[in-house]
Amino acid sequence: MNYNLNNQPAQKTSTFAALRKLFRFLAAERKTLIIAFATIMVSSGLNLTGPVLTGYTIDHFIQQKQYNHLLLACGLLLLIYIVAFIANYLQAKLMGSIGQRMLFRLRNAVFGKLQELPVAFFNQNKAGDLISRINSDTEKVNQFFSQYLMQFVSNLFIMTGAGIFLVSIHPRLGAATLVPAAVLLIFTRLISPWVRRRNADNMKSTGGLSAEVQESLNNFKVIIAFNRRDYFRKRFDEVNKKNYATAVSAGLANNVFMPVFGFCAQLAQLTVLTYGIYLVTTGNFTIGLLISYLAYVHSFYTPIRQLSVLWANFQVALAGWDRISEILSLESDLPQLPTTNGTNGTTSVMEFRNVQFRYPNGKPVLHDVNFNMERGRTYALVGPTGGGKTTTASLVARLYDPTEGQVLLEGRDIRTYDAAERSRKIGFILQEPFLFTGTVRDNILYGNAEYADYTNEQLTEVIREAGLETLLARFEQGLDTKVVTTGDAVSLGQKQLIAFMRAVLRRPSLLILDEATANIDTITEQLLERILQQLPAHTTRVIIAHRLNTIENADEIYFVNAGEVTRAGSLDHAVNMLLHERRES
Amino acid sequence: MQNANGNRPQPGPKPPRLTALIQPYRGLVTLLIVLALFSNGLNLVLPRIIAYGIDAYGRGETVFKPVITWFALTALCIFIFTYLQNIVQTYASERVARDLRTRLAAKVSQQTYAGIQSANPSRLLTNFTSDIDTVKLFVSQAIVSIASSLIIITGAAVLLFSINWELALAVLAIIPLIGATFFIVLRKMRVWFMKIREVIDWLNKVITESILGAALIRVLNAQGLEYDKFLAANTDAKNIGLTMIRLYALMIPVITFIANMAMVTILAMGGHYVIAGKLTLGNLAAFNSYLAILIFPVILIGVMSNVIAQASAAYQRVQEMLSLPDPEDSGTVQETLRGDIALQNIGLQYEGRPVLKDISFTVKAGSRTAIIGPTAAGKTQLLYLLANLAKPDSGHITYDGRDIRSYHPDALHRQVGLVFQDSILFNMSLRENIAFNDAVTDDALQRAIHTAALKDFIDTLPQGLDTIVSERGTSLSGGQKQRIMLARALAINPTVLLLDDFTARVDNSTEQQILQNLAQHYPHLTLLSVTQKISSIEQYDKIILLMEGEIIAAGTHAELLQTCPEYVQIYQSQRSTSAYELQSE
Repeated sequence: MNYNLNNQPAQKTSTFAALRKLFRFLAAERKTLIIAFATIMVSSGLNLTGPVLTGYTIDHFIQQKQYNHLLLACGLLLLIYIVAFIANYLQAKLMGSIGQRMLFRLRNAVFGKLQELPVAFFNQNKAGDLISRINSDTEKVNQFFSQYLMQFVSNLFIMTGAGIFLVSIHPRLGAATLVPAAVLLIFTRLISPWVRRRNADNMKSTGGLSAEVQESLNNFKVIIAFNRRDYFRKRFDEVNKKNYATAVSAGLANNVFMPVFGFCAQLAQLTVLTYGIYLVTTGNFTIGLLISYLAYVHSFYTPIRQLSVLWANFQVALAGWDRISEILSLESDLPQLPTTNGTNGTTSVMEFRNVQFRYPNGKPVLHDVNFNMERGRTYALVGPTGGGKTTTASLVARLYDPTEGQVLLEGRDIRTYDAAERSRKIGFILQEPFLFTGTVRDNILYGNAEYADYTNEQLTEVIREAGLETLLARFEQGLDTKVVTTGDAVSLGQKQLIAFMRAVLRRPSLLILDEATANIDTITEQLLERILQQLPAHTTRVIIAHRLNTIENADEIYFVNAGEVTRAGSLDHAVNMLLHERRES
Repeated sequence: MQNANGNRPQPGPKPPRLTALIQPYRGLVTLLIVLALFSNGLNLVLPRIIAYGIDAYGRGETVFKPVITWFALTALCIFIFTYLQNIVQTYASERVARDLRTRLAAKVSQQTYAGIQSANPSRLLTNFTSDIDTVKLFVSQAIVSIASSLIIITGAAVLLFSINWELALAVLAIIPLIGATFFIVLRKMRVWFMKIREVIDWLNKVITESILGAALIRVLNAQGLEYDKFLAANTDAKNIGLTMIRLYALMIPVITFIANMAMVTILAMGGHYVIAGKLTLGNLAAFNSYLAILIFPVILIGVMSNVIAQASAAYQRVQEMLSLPDPEDSGTVQETLRGDIALQNIGLQYEGRPVLKDISFTVKAGSRTAIIGPTAAGKTQLLYLLANLAKPDSGHITYDGRDIRSYHPDALHRQVGLVFQDSILFNMSLRENIAFNDAVTDDALQRAIHTAALKDFIDTLPQGLDTIVSERGTSLSGGQKQRIMLARALAINPTVLLLDDFTARVDNSTEQQILQNLAQHYPHLTLLSVTQKISSIEQYDKIILLMEGEIIAAGTHAELLQTCPEYVQIYQSQRSTSAYELQSE
């Protein structure tokens, strides 16, 4: 499956389809939204009443020198403004909160989806680009919803009302006034997809910039050691320039609306003026009506002008939403199949049947692989680098599914197991150990609910029983030693020790070690070897290694080369193959 | 005009000013403000033209044509000025962002490896992306709004005073009130602005780790755990967001309320004056309408001060990075190395715990030295010191008798090649990954590829050297990655080659082949190799046994077998299979 987000078939989504999907995240807010709409009606109503009442007071009470009435009117105004104040506050608070909660849900949805996706997805996308999608693109959507949605709706509301009013006063003049608005509607429809694309391009290059920074900063030692500080600057300059270019082009696109909308509003005024004066000269209209008509035109086009700014923001939000929904629309290509007619009676823990595998867009890595692994035995996979050992192990742990053939775990297709059961049965120490920022304890117990509530003392006891206490002793502060993901505070060998402890404590029935001890000294390695021997009798071990001493205790050796897995018989035989087989790596 | 790129000495910890940021763009900003004034000013002319047209009609004059012409011309000018203003605004804000990013990149690229680690790469990523985006908003939105608002406020204030100074004073009393509101609210918000940015750093960290550790998470079926971590950070972000909304939601309504109170005051006081005959009714009406003009810019300034507060919080974070001290003066010696290395009483601490203690040894030019020892003995740190990636806390390192600090860092990195233990590949072509430094000639590249035994592998790739490697090198096997790392170090044609556990993931026969190639193609190389495997270093000139940061013994293989029991123990741990390895030579 193609998981490369920057290389997805372009999906044409209409604005409405996009909006419908987006509004799912607002479903839980229906009640709050209704209250917020009510408050905005109240506050805009009251804010309009104020000037009217003021005008009335001037015309009547002040002119007629009724000071008592004046004071009364002032009191009334005070009351109106107090209520408006409360309504304003509620509206801002409610809408802002809706925006925050929606952002919260949106981010959770994206991150949750990220967790559903298989390893292949992460191999095909850059970390920095994904971070940019989760953080900055969701923020763009949020900005629109928390800041502009209300204005957007209330402007639409006012505009429609004023439009109806214009037409009902004088249909022909009203129609003439609305012509520029119709032009705007067409203009907006035509230009919006382009504006959205410009914004999408900009977000893409922002993702690229973020990916570049992420890659360079996390590998900074290589940049220093190879004198590539200038190169970092150069590469950064490139993405920065590209980002600048797309940002300017997106900015210019977004800014097209405002002047055009303003111009059309003025054209409408001009239309009213000329057509109105013509009507007055022909006796179909009065000059007084014309003056008030011009004021109504103003109140029709003012919200339209504000809409132009909002519309640009709306396009930005939609472009952000498109990028987010690209992730949300991906599905894992490792679904759980329904359980079929139980096991096939085999005693094998793991069986490969005619397994073929290729990475997306890659050449075949495994051709027709067949083997059985029995309970409680130790298997070694040896072979030159690039021969397919890690790929074989990854299929065993179902990080990928074979392109052809079947992988059977305890006689049942591995695809019928749910993820929790599968990962309980299969332990896999990856070639490249990874630590989460935290303590050694956090990392040893990562994903292991069994000991999560243990105190350090209890846990130390468990570790002693598993024979791991000498490994733990390698860490200055034992379980509480702090570790970080990046940086070199913890050596690679130490990371491998942590990964080893983590896997052993989970007591899997099948344990794969993919060069899991490659950076550990040979004396410690012998210790690990003894710990492996002490695992429960039914544990099957699969060891991938280059160092021959790590595999000499294997019950069976498979030779993996050029995508084929052959049984090697004895260690001598394996060594012989290692030396003389044709290699394709 | 001050130079934006100059390293002005910053006396004391002065809070960063956004105004200082836009200093170098004074020209653009001035142009922006002028354009904004023109377009806003012309907008005021239009009603006058309409009024003129209507008045003229009332007087029975036929001024149809000039009115239409003037109106159309003005509308066109407004269109042009608005559009120009938007263009300049886009360019100005994007240029500020681009230049700030370039400055930050330049600063980052000068940092030492330790500097980057302590600055924290995920925070730097936020600096490069969302922090700078926020600063950008200041330029694109705040400057114009504030400038035009201030002018409108001043203009309206002058008009108010010209009518009635007592009333004007009463009205203008709202300005300090509003100012105080901004001050109080924004001061409270500022803390939260900084906090929300820290939470974003945290979110970034969780996302990054979940992406980098994707394979492990899937093997352990720990997606739920990651989701919980994310949820915790995201909930925090939501709560801070809601707190900020509560504060912010109060600000604008309070300001509107204060402004409305001014209206009521005018009505009451002005009404009283009119009734008492101190003020004409027309002037009261005018006063009222000027006040209406005054209120919108005041509110706008409120909205913008929120943007400014966020931008200055973001800028402060960027500025903290920009004001990191430059690394101390480096040496200037550019001479070609012979390759004699000496370490004298080297000590190194990491977070208060000793990593290396009193290390002294010498390496002769052209000789081969091995460093052997258990996990976490300080071997990698020793190589980092030699590669000038870290500095010792005590003692001296000399190359050819000169202190390492007297060499120009570039000169040293040009001649000392380091093969890192962990495979670090960049998302670019194999060619660029190997010829990582652009001083690499094609000859050197080919020789490096040949020596690292990569030629056959590269020949099998359809695109050969131009094959793009994915970010974490996931399309390559562990051994292939490690050989690419070796080729990268060889391609700079080093005098001194530092190998960090290079053989860990390379099989024996490939290793033998590589060692032979090395001797043949790089005969004068001074080799310092950290390894676990004795069989490949038996012929070396010197073997150093390092344990817990101390040198236990040093000598040739034969000497150590005689004198050092720890060495014998390591040797014994590998002996059982050495028969096979002998065979392979």
